[in-house]
Amino acid sequence: MSYKIPMGPYHPALEEPYKLDMICDGETVSDAKLHIGFNFRGIEHLAETRNYIQVIALMERVCGICSNIHTLTLCQAMEKLTGVEPPPRALYIRVVMAELERLHSHVLWAGIAAKLMGFKTMFMTCFALREKVMDVLQAISGNRVNYSMNRIGGVNRDIEDPLALLGMVDLLEREMIRTIIPIFTTSTTATLRCAGIGILANEKAVSCGVVGPTARASGVGQDLRRAAPYAAYSEMEFDVPVEKAGDVRARLLVRALEIMESCRILRQALTKMPPGEFNTGDGKIVFSTGTAISRVEAPRGEVVYSVSWKENSRNPARVHVRTPTFQNMPAIRWMVIGARLADTPLIQASIDPCYSCTDR
Amino acid sequence: MDSSGVQWFDVGDQSVREVATAMKARCARFVTITATELPGNEGLRLEYLWDLDGQLLGFSFHLETNSVESIFDICEATDWIEREIHEGFAVDFIGREYEPLLLREGNNLGVNLREEGR
Repeated sequence: MSYKIPMGPYHPALEEPYKLDMICDGETVSDAKLHIGFNFRGIEHLAETRNYIQVIALMERVCGICSNIHTLTLCQAMEKLTGVEPPPRALYIRVVMAELERLHSHVLWAGIAAKLMGFKTMFMTCFALREKVMDVLQAISGNRVNYSMNRIGGVNRDIEDPLALLGMVDLLEREMIRTIIPIFTTSTTATLRCAGIGILANEKAVSCGVVGPTARASGVGQDLRRAAPYAAYSEMEFDVPVEKAGDVRARLLVRALEIMESCRILRQALTKMPPGEFNTGDGKIVFSTGTAISRVEAPRGEVVYSVSWKENSRNPARVHVRTPTFQNMPAIRWMVIGARLADTPLIQASIDPCYSCTDR
Repeated sequence: MDSSGVQWFDVGDQSVREVATAMKARCARFVTITATELPGNEGLRLEYLWDLDGQLLGFSFHLETNSVESIFDICEATDWIEREIHEGFAVDFIGREYEPLLLREGNNLGVNLREEGR
């Protein structure tokens, strides 16, 4: 006999509200429906009422985890419309901020995944490690969540002593190699809870157009930092981890390996950071009429901003945001079909969903 | 590619379905659709974005009426964005059924339109 089990909109496994209605045959999920919109704030519409300074502060609040990525993508689009080019040091600082944000996002996700596996000790270990990254972000920007770093033509704050941050990178890398990666890859708890569970086959990943670590764990190798470099990524050497299994363990491995690659990128950006200005100053900004598109590889995957402007207008005519979770979430349906009901909280969490981003 | 970050293509008299079929044949990845309400009574503009090996390809369609053919059956990745545009701009994507996405059952369509109920 089939019966329906709702998960959400309020549920211990969900960090923010959304709803997954599952049709079950016994303990096995036979189909599922997703419901979003519980965090809908009408931000795109609101953006049309803000000027080019206010809109940056507004879009920073689309997401509480990857706030920096949203302003980076928006500013890149506005720079295309204004013809303003950030100085080289600003591009390096943008890379540092983006990678620090990826680090704290991935470590946070590892902690939440550990909690959902019933592995509370690992949850605490991950969050203690994440604090080190948050301390660095706070030291650079003065803030822990909304960093206010990006502006048209560069960044608002300099990193005065980049080499001083190398100690944190070493510490993080050491902890990942010594503790987190071995436990996640070899412990019986992690293996039993993650291997062969929530599989998204390569063909389905391509068909659903999923992005970021979710795609790379299903054998789709695209990473915008490599495929369409922005900021100073074209000057960085790094690998793009790809796994083929498509299960929760593969998504976990991809993120763990990406933490190592982020450390590698950070070390290069901090040691090679060029001297000079970190923004273009407070000169007059003139927008040309048109639409500019900007894409960035956020921790969860590709973020796309489409920004339209009319000459002589202070406000954008349109700001459209396509977040990675918006593209990844429909794939949860295919991941949970055939899964045991008890595994579904971990499966839905394995895409590292951000519901506020999705709803905007 | 132009300075906007996209290679825009003139669609001529091609339909959205013909473009989608051609993109799928080239193994391009669907990225998104951006709907924009044009000033006055000029209608709406839909911009379809596809990624081909890291290159962003754009196809712009002008809608005089609030309807266009759905490409959901060609590309399932368009499901949510078609539903979102349906709710935000009251666009009818012909040939598909909808379930509420961001709105709840019974809410009015067109929440992103400047004039309600247009």
